[in-house]
Amino acid sequence: MYWLSGGFVFRRVVSPFHNLDPRVKLLVSLEFFVLSLLAHTVAAIVLILLAILVVAAVAKSLRRIGRTIAFSGLFAAFIFAVNFLFGLGLLDAILYSVRFLAIISSTSVFFVTTSPDELEQIMKWMRVPRDIVFAFVTAIRFIPVVMLDAFQIMDAQKSRGLEFEKGNIVRRVRNMVPILIPLVVNSVIRSGELAEAMESRAYGSTPKPTSLYGMRMRWHDTAVALVSLLLVLVVALYIYHFVSF
Amino acid sequence: MTLIEFRNVSFVHQTGVTALSDVSLTVGKGETVAVVGENGAGKTTLVRHTNGLLKPTQGSVVVDGVDTRDTTTATLSRAVGIAFQNPDHQLFSESVENEVRFAMKNFGFAEGLISQRLDWALKFFGLEQYRKSSPLVLSGGEKKRLTLACILAWDPEVVVLDEPTVGQDSLQKEKLAQIFRLLQSTGKTIIIVSHDVEFLWPIQPRLVVMSGGRVVADGKISVIMADRELLEGARVTQPQLLRLYSGLRNKPAGPFLDVLEARDWIGGWRARREAR
Repeated sequence: MYWLSGGFVFRRVVSPFHNLDPRVKLLVSLEFFVLSLLAHTVAAIVLILLAILVVAAVAKSLRRIGRTIAFSGLFAAFIFAVNFLFGLGLLDAILYSVRFLAIISSTSVFFVTTSPDELEQIMKWMRVPRDIVFAFVTAIRFIPVVMLDAFQIMDAQKSRGLEFEKGNIVRRVRNMVPILIPLVVNSVIRSGELAEAMESRAYGSTPKPTSLYGMRMRWHDTAVALVSLLLVLVVALYIYHFVSF
Repeated sequence: MTLIEFRNVSFVHQTGVTALSDVSLTVGKGETVAVVGENGAGKTTLVRHTNGLLKPTQGSVVVDGVDTRDTTTATLSRAVGIAFQNPDHQLFSESVENEVRFAMKNFGFAEGLISQRLDWALKFFGLEQYRKSSPLVLSGGEKKRLTLACILAWDPEVVVLDEPTVGQDSLQKEKLAQIFRLLQSTGKTIIIVSHDVEFLWPIQPRLVVMSGGRVVADGKISVIMADRELLEGARVTQPQLLRLYSGLRNKPAGPFLDVLEARDWIGGWRARREAR
């Protein structure tokens, strides 16, 4: 559980990809997303997934993306089974399930390599209203905290004789109630405390607050953005003109 | 009789951090053991091994003759009840009585026994008036007492308390101390993890001092608390009553165990001085 959950959470790592401007990381992630939608053969989508893994390796996050793929694997298997059982061919069923993995991996590459601070800067740059930016970034920032809470609650309930793996599916779902209630209650209490703490620190007192750090495109950021755009254009044109790819 | 035995236990978290290094420790039946040490010393990690929530990376933990790796947490919890630091991490039922019933139901107690143990636990912890209330509306101290009631209701052989005094006012601490004395008198094995040396001193438990994932001292609290160098290394402070005792020129036979004892001795000393 702990192993799987790490696949979507940012961790600070020194790598060429982490050092890129967050807008370039978003662009690369979006490019993979678009290519995953455009690919309509198994070979193409597998190549795109491999390209994402190459980027993940450059970002020294191959293991974390691997966790994302492992976690999404169950859903991908479900997509494959539904499509195959409801009349699609084997290759099409594989295409849809691998496409799902590629889409999830492309977004995971962005979230695993982009800190909440960088995410906030991007959203501000996109002129998203400040309150929405704050709510979104806070939610992202609190994912590890809520996860830790969930593990501690599970430990507390296991220590009171609760066995999660015991019983049929209905009982297993009911066994989640002692986890979910304290988790939700704690999150609500924490959000109330956070709101009070933010107000006490003058949140919202000025309509246009200044930022300590800003985004700056350096020459290598521009180079990566341009090269990746060029590559995507070439691949997209190739996909459109050569169906057999 | 040994109830819990740590045999050369080491534990490495999934993050790669070593939390316990070669810990060997035994806890006898009916003993009261306090585990102290700085933040990150491995205290909580150590006690989480007692009911199998954590399994050792190296070595073994044996509880009542059973290796924790050979059984489930639910099975071990019947013998070892852990009260966690934050009561909000376990309270979920719609009423206080259902909260206390929860573990007993999981352990398969008969309904008659559940009712009997429930009545006893609520009375023992002064929670009878909240029987039908939601546990979420209780105060911090009441929630803490409720978590203890939940554990003692199923009558485990070992009671483990992780930072029981955190967030408690002085009155609540006094109540907790009374509960400890009662538990000690009933022969329960108690393990307390705490930073609160003032709370531990009057209880006079066996003291285990941890630092950097290792046990650096294990023995009588009165002996260990007198070793200032050791305490400084483990970032543990001396209890005020012991400091007062150490500062006296004409000392009484042994250190003061509570404030009243110190007050009586100082009163007697004053009277003797005035008589001279």
